[in-house]
Amino acid sequence: MAQSLAKEFTKGLWAEIPPFRLVLGLCPTLAVTKSVENGIGMGLATTFVLVFSNLLISLLRNVIPTKVRIACYIVIIATFVTIVELVMQAYTYPLFLKLGIFIPLIVVNCIVLGRAEAFASKNNPVMALADGLGIGIGFTLSLASLGAVREILGAGTITIWGGSPIFDLSHWFHPFTFMVEAPGAFAALGLMLAGMNLIGKK
Amino acid sequence: MREMISMIVVLTVLASVSGGLLAAVKSGTELRIEEQVLKFQKAPAIESLFSDVTNDPLKERFNLDTGETTIQIFPGKMPDGSMAVAFETLGKGGYGGDIGLMVAIDMDKDQLVGARVTTHAETPGLGSRAKDDLTFVSQFNDKSLDTNLALKADDGTISAISGATVTSRAITRAAIEAQTLYNDLKPEIMKQIQ
Amino acid sequence: MEFFELAIGSIFINNIILAQFLGICPFIGTSKKMETAVGMSMAVVFVMVMAGMITWSVDTFLLKALNVEYLRTLSFILVIASLVQFVEMFLKKSIPGLYAGLGIFLPLITTNCAVMGACLLNIGNEYHFTKALMSSFSYAIGFGLALILFAGVRERVNLGPVPKPLQDTSIGLITAGIIALTFTSFRGMV
Repeated sequence: MAQSLAKEFTKGLWAEIPPFRLVLGLCPTLAVTKSVENGIGMGLATTFVLVFSNLLISLLRNVIPTKVRIACYIVIIATFVTIVELVMQAYTYPLFLKLGIFIPLIVVNCIVLGRAEAFASKNNPVMALADGLGIGIGFTLSLASLGAVREILGAGTITIWGGSPIFDLSHWFHPFTFMVEAPGAFAALGLMLAGMNLIGKK
Repeated sequence: MREMISMIVVLTVLASVSGGLLAAVKSGTELRIEEQVLKFQKAPAIESLFSDVTNDPLKERFNLDTGETTIQIFPGKMPDGSMAVAFETLGKGGYGGDIGLMVAIDMDKDQLVGARVTTHAETPGLGSRAKDDLTFVSQFNDKSLDTNLALKADDGTISAISGATVTSRAITRAAIEAQTLYNDLKPEIMKQIQ
Repeated sequence: MEFFELAIGSIFINNIILAQFLGICPFIGTSKKMETAVGMSMAVVFVMVMAGMITWSVDTFLLKALNVEYLRTLSFILVIASLVQFVEMFLKKSIPGLYAGLGIFLPLITTNCAVMGACLLNIGNEYHFTKALMSSFSYAIGFGLALILFAGVRERVNLGPVPKPLQDTSIGLITAGIIALTFTSFRGMV
């Protein structure tokens, strides 16, 4: 029991890590990875929604009629997304402004609906919780690492929390601004994906 | 039939619970959100415009009901004794939507103290310069209240930011709106200040 | 004239896929073949325009009137989900070929950030009805343009000798990056 629980949790951290292995949730990945801080913020917000919606959907899985299940999942997910929106506005206002439209867009993040349909609706709440937590943390790690790559190359800094970078290399080299702009996002994700394929295919 | 009823019941219960939950969270966070908006959006502009006032504009702020909306007014006592007020207007037609402008007006001298951009969603590096670089908005400093604050391209006196005409125009719209609003509300404001 | 500027802005400069990062999943998913790309674009144009109009009305006449704007996310996604369901049923009956061709991508328009995103952007920009309509239409055209361009390039790229780790999605993303780069040249046009 404990072993399979651990398995459900850790699969989100490597084997099925979004968006690299589980190719879902690409929109926020490209948009919020201009800095590590934004990536972590988005990842945590998504994790919150993922964990609670997985939990609730799993608890209600025998009650929700099959024909309207997608509609019910959407209501549940949208509720938690709205809670995240309000809480972020109240307690992390600058981050809320930076993530902008992508916070409400968590509701259409394929990861959340995908896990609800593929896992939470078919497993017990404890497993669903582990799944949500693992995938959510995996997503946060991916966003943070892509954010790190883009931020270091594109601005020479790494910002983890609170707006001031923890170090600033921009005096040593002229930052590659391409990286924090749209084209760089695509290229960076593509290259990282290739890198993951290379490591994984051994 | 039974299936239909269960579908409707489940959806209705779910929607009601969710609605209730959200309403609760909303009222719980409302006050705090208002404080945050004040702190992050308006305070920097106020501090920049009223850098040498002798009172606390944020503490002494008050609301004025114009009939259509409520405006937050920040009073500032200038170092030379004259009374000024600052309030925010929205300029329509920016690239990314409305642009917020905090305008400060010296009531005794009947002239603008200045203006600062508060919120915008303009193109980074182009229109966003209106907020970060004070060259454009400093054109509003010390302008008498009857100046035509439109862009030079629109027969006014303000030079646009090169490459960001749309942004500049939206800001001038906000400034003009502030002029109109001030003229309409001046008696009310004087009453409140007393 | 204002509408022209809006259209240019929404189609090229603020292209919903290449500049705003909305709609990436279908962008990668339906761009392997030209037919699916074209079909998806048409479906998106239809859904986006209709969703834009309906969500705008819901926001103006319901949410703002009752002062429940925090229910926006919830209500918008429900509108979009129902609309897509509707379109599915319609296509199944009237154009079964297209319905079969789109396959799973049609219900996936519900989770298409581009549609939800465009509806939210209309509200964020505080457009009035006609502008919201124009904007939804332009965003959809921009979506279709980017998707079809991308599909064309991708079909050619996949015929070449791509190294194994880069195949499929990776090289697709890098190609998208280059196209995004060319689109940045539109800035400062208006």
